[in-house]
Amino acid sequence: MFDFDVIVIGAGPGGYPAAIRAAQLGKKTAIVEKEAFGGTCLNWGCIPTKTLIASAERFHHAAHSEAFGVTAKGVTFDYAVMTERKNDVVKRLSGGIQGLLKSNGVEAITGAARFEGPNRISVIQPDGVTRWLSAATIIIAAGSDSAMPGFLPKDKRVMDSRAFLDLKALPERLLILGGGVIGCEFACMAAALGTKVTVVEMLEDIIMVLDRDVRRVLRKRMEALGVTFLTGAPLTDIVVKNGEVSGTYKDQTVTGDLLLVAVGRRPNTAALDLARAGVNVDERGTIPVDKQGRTNVASIFAVGDLVTGSIQLAHAATQQGVVAAEAAVGMKSTVENICPSCIFTSPEIGLAGLSETQAQKLGRDVKTAVFPFVALGKAMAAGETDGFVKWICDPVTGQVLGAQVVGAHATELIAEAALAIRNELTVDEIGNTIHSHPTMSEAWMEAAHTFHNACIHLPKR
Amino acid sequence: MAQVVIFPKLGQTMEEGAIVKWLKKEGDAVAKGDILFEIETDKANLEVESFFEGVLLKIYVREGITVPVNTVVGFIGAAGEKVPDQPPAPEAAPAPAPAAAAPEAPTASPAPAVPAAAPAPAPVAPAPAATPAPQPSAKPVVQPAPAPTPAKRLVISPRARACARAACIDPARIKGTGPNGRIVEKDVLAFLSAANYDALRITPAAKRLAAEHEIDILSVRGSGDGGRIMVEDIERAQRRKPVTLSRMRQIIARRLVESKQTIPHFYVTVKADITDLMAFRADLKAQGRSYSVNDFVLEAVILSLEEFPVVNSVTDGVTVSWRGDVDLGMAVSVDNGLVVPVIRAAQTLTLAELNAQAKALAEKARTGKLLPDEMVGSSFTVSNMGMMNVDQFTAIINPGEAGILAVSTGRQVPTVVNGEIKIRTMMAMTLSVDHRIVDGSVGAQFVNAIRSKLENVELWKALV
Repeated sequence: MFDFDVIVIGAGPGGYPAAIRAAQLGKKTAIVEKEAFGGTCLNWGCIPTKTLIASAERFHHAAHSEAFGVTAKGVTFDYAVMTERKNDVVKRLSGGIQGLLKSNGVEAITGAARFEGPNRISVIQPDGVTRWLSAATIIIAAGSDSAMPGFLPKDKRVMDSRAFLDLKALPERLLILGGGVIGCEFACMAAALGTKVTVVEMLEDIIMVLDRDVRRVLRKRMEALGVTFLTGAPLTDIVVKNGEVSGTYKDQTVTGDLLLVAVGRRPNTAALDLARAGVNVDERGTIPVDKQGRTNVASIFAVGDLVTGSIQLAHAATQQGVVAAEAAVGMKSTVENICPSCIFTSPEIGLAGLSETQAQKLGRDVKTAVFPFVALGKAMAAGETDGFVKWICDPVTGQVLGAQVVGAHATELIAEAALAIRNELTVDEIGNTIHSHPTMSEAWMEAAHTFHNACIHLPKR
Repeated sequence: MAQVVIFPKLGQTMEEGAIVKWLKKEGDAVAKGDILFEIETDKANLEVESFFEGVLLKIYVREGITVPVNTVVGFIGAAGEKVPDQPPAPEAAPAPAPAAAAPEAPTASPAPAVPAAAPAPAPVAPAPAATPAPQPSAKPVVQPAPAPTPAKRLVISPRARACARAACIDPARIKGTGPNGRIVEKDVLAFLSAANYDALRITPAAKRLAAEHEIDILSVRGSGDGGRIMVEDIERAQRRKPVTLSRMRQIIARRLVESKQTIPHFYVTVKADITDLMAFRADLKAQGRSYSVNDFVLEAVILSLEEFPVVNSVTDGVTVSWRGDVDLGMAVSVDNGLVVPVIRAAQTLTLAELNAQAKALAEKARTGKLLPDEMVGSSFTVSNMGMMNVDQFTAIINPGEAGILAVSTGRQVPTVVNGEIKIRTMMAMTLSVDHRIVDGSVGAQFVNAIRSKLENVELWKALV
């Protein structure tokens, strides 16, 4: 007999939903968390960054609303208060998760877990006492950490995103290594608060998962915000000297007061001793799983960032966690294919399903249907005319296979697109659905009409 | 003046083939040596080059249609030059292979004046006895690729048909109540109601796709939430529709059936101890001389065939003829098929020459570069699945031959040697022979001859 039916390792956005779902299904469940309930998302990722971005946007609006007839003189900000507010939000949400686990009867255990066998783990608790636990099913949801390449100097001026969130004040000049999603989000936040930001990206452009037209809008707006992009070459010879960080990009020396490293994330699999359970790990340290999240060991599942090919998003992990818990009781649930991504840059970006770039790589013929916000009443009224929505459609059936949106509220707007893509709607259903006026979401309907050249609010082509 | 492009005869036995892909479109500029199209014969896919320079003015034979060799498939000439809408009759004289050329192109008025002379079929064309066409314009002897025979013509009203189409169902399954069993709209509606059609759930895109491919959605199982039919389900149904086999597969199918139906197969299996041979091969390799296990098997077969001429013979049930040379067929698996290139007069080759030829032919086979003539006339075949991790299998005799040897994977197994258990590498070989001319005892002796040769390292030392 085992101590538990299900043990979940890691209480992030993949782990705690898995534990709660297992408990809902009548399983005796425990969850082991080594650090903070809510994981990266809640403590050092999605939630704290969005809290700070909200503060930065408030400041930016307060300081730049003359065109709207609002003039505020002497607008200032206190970054210390902003981070306090952030800490408060995080604390409240983390407490909420522990409450949810408790109300569902999940035993929460604090400590670092490692495998002792396929059905057995040991947990080193904060008091130093090791606890041995066994379970019929184990769900690995241990997440990932920022990658810190070895060539970087070990210095307090060189930090990952997590350490950056604990700063009491922003630097005057911020150097960011990596123009991916995380690098760009932090760049926007800091730039909005007046920091001089330089982003160095080795690839030819920032956030390469985006289609080129979307990237162009983002890059232009971020440059207008004062962000400098150095792309297409690496930052080399990074040194910390005389209270500043400097490095070489092509032939040019770039400096900053701090270097934020945002070059990707590493799976937290090494410390788990997976080999003792017989779980296969690939060369990148991630765990291959089937469409239910099952590893090569039938009683062990893996969800979230440490899964091979994972999209590394909180909501993807949550869905995988729920599926794994359901699979553990023998249900036929499978991981969803369509997962929207949200990027909280300025302007925001949302994407779901197939991109134009992916379609090209697959050699799949697609037709796009685009509508720019500049032609939309609400966008004009709100002074948010940058950006556009885009459907990526099957040219024959008009099925919407993917969508991208860049502009104000893009992260909210993508929800409608994800619903449409998952349910295999065509441009006709979307075009025929009445969208309220005046709203940003009308853009989806207008874009759908352009598929048949039947858009009312664009000049005839 | 415009030049005709003909479907080339690329081998002595080649009678027909199909263009699988045109690489030029009508109106494209063509240079000498440009690849015009790819053809599929019963043996292989081959690229056909242009012998002319100019513009591809006309394509007569579209992709996928089987035509006799020398059929006119298009015209190349100067831009704007007029060419006939209908292709002229196939060239009677076989063009020199592989020339895609015709000696003289017809002029802009190609139609022969006398109707009776018009459809004269080319001698090489396996065309049905052509009935003279009443029109003076000559029709090419074109045989469409075999397709599933169309269903009996459906008697249905236009309204009923539209109704069935809108519902994405196949009206053929509906019983008509109109005159002469004609299906009327009421029948369709009754059928939909009886089939509980309204309860069917399908995504908009899936329904659109089903209409596009004429898939009956009542026959599709839904995999989405609550059994909803998704695009993936329609795509799966689409893949269930019959697809015409490639020419190569059709030939394979025909020949295998012919073999199994007309040749009484007899099988005998032995296991050869190739431990010493493997060690010898490793020694050779260390000296920079690389041989495959298959080379040794082929050579052992060649030597044994010389000893047992009846296995290198062919019978029609009345007579038996010795084949003389060992024209050794070597089965090579290729994408979606199997080809058997032939090593001619293999008994005259040294082991090194055999190795070189086998390697070259296998490479040509895998890259689709074998010419049809390189794949006919074998007198015995070896099928080696040593790389496929198999214990034992039996092969089907190539019609026209008396036997085939199926070679399996060499494995380390505990084996009794001089009363002691040793780990030895054993390789199973199964001989299939035509029992009409090869008796069991001869088959057994023959396959044992191969075995003893493989086990005799002194022999190989003498041969390399």
